Amino acid sequence: MSTVTIDTFVNGQRVTRQVAPRMTLAEFLRDDLGLTGTKVSCEMQVCGACTVLIDDMPVSACTYLAADADSRRITTVEGLAHGDELHPIQAAFVENFAIQCGFCTPGFVMMTAALLAENPAPTAEEVAEYMDGNICRCTGYKPILSAVLDAAERLRGTE
Amino acid sequence: MSVLPPFDLVRPANLAEALSAVADGATPYAGGTELLLAMRAGLLRPAALVDLKTLPELSGVSLVDDHVRIGATVTHRQARTAPEGAHIPQLSNVLGRVGNPRVRAVGTLVGNLCFAEPKSDVATLLAALDARVELASTSGGRTLRLREFLLGPYTTARSDDELVRAILIPVRSGRLAAYGKFQTMERPTVSVAAVKEADGTTRIAVGAVGPVPQVFEFPPGERPDCDGIACEVEVTPDFTGGDAFKRHITRHIASSTLSDLGTRS
Repeated sequence: MSTVTIDTFVNGQRVTRQVAPRMTLAEFLRDDLGLTGTKVSCEMQVCGACTVLIDDMPVSACTYLAADADSRRITTVEGLAHGDELHPIQAAFVENFAIQCGFCTPGFVMMTAALLAENPAPTAEEVAEYMDGNICRCTGYKPILSAVLDAAERLRGTE
Repeated sequence: MSVLPPFDLVRPANLAEALSAVADGATPYAGGTELLLAMRAGLLRPAALVDLKTLPELSGVSLVDDHVRIGATVTHRQARTAPEGAHIPQLSNVLGRVGNPRVRAVGTLVGNLCFAEPKSDVATLLAALDARVELASTSGGRTLRLREFLLGPYTTARSDDELVRAILIPVRSGRLAAYGKFQTMERPTVSVAAVKEADGTTRIAVGAVGPVPQVFEFPPGERPDCDGIACEVEVTPDFTGGDAFKRHITRHIASSTLSDLGTRS
């Protein structure tokens, strides 16, 4: 089977690789680049654990070919913080206790980044609707909802 | 993680190259939201995928001869935000509720129709709007009404050497449309799209309840008969309900959707 060349920016760094057509973006990020913050769970685009941004749009890395990331910008949860300083979305998740086991958290954080880029001041209903495709089995969704609304406020404050 | 089976990826330079790859047995590929899942589950094992996403001939939403034309690689997200889509009542509403934001960002409307999921909201709405699909192959092209294209669950009239180039939705002034559904799980139990044209013709598409969206047409002046629809509609009993239950829900949703026609467009 053939390979495909991809030339991409991952969290701001240029990455060029030969990949097999069947390699998913999740496999590329986790296995090739060691970016294991992106989690894989349902593998059906239902749970949202593997959410990353492609050119600022949220996608499920489990069902997205690495080949399709060619010429695109990929942002993973590792790309949010500045050194040891958490991104405001990450800080809001921590301070609102929106994390228990943490497995779903990178996906929720990346969905929050996507939502707030499109809609900096969402209502609680808009947050719930946008996050409908992300599953958490620990916290209940209320702390997550609070964290997203808090993150929105923090980000508006920094502008 | 379960891996995808191996395949070759063909990246055509133009539509002619894409069509000859399809004629040689490659499977058309755009968003992959259904195709890659079917491959991972072992239901499909194509030797090659032909990536349509870089072809300008297959991209974009446009207004052509009183139709909104949606190219093969247009995602649900793109169609929803395209200004041309505003000519089609209920389109933005239905597209905004497909899957989740990740599915909408990569999944295409043409792929949605080609997968022929019986519970597709998009297929139900487009059937009521009397949409057509444009097919192309190395030997030419043809256009089918959506109800001729959708043959059964996961089955369409597309032959192996064809790809769907675009969807055509007629633009008509004075048209009213409403959409309603009953849903307790990931996909609806019953969905109903009702369209009333300016001349009084009413089309009601009943989706999710049977093998394909079923269209009932009533001429101007004839009052749509929801009891008749519930009686005649073909029902597939499944985990969302049995025959009698689904007919009952169909009657109710058809009736409430029809009464929404006058109040919303």
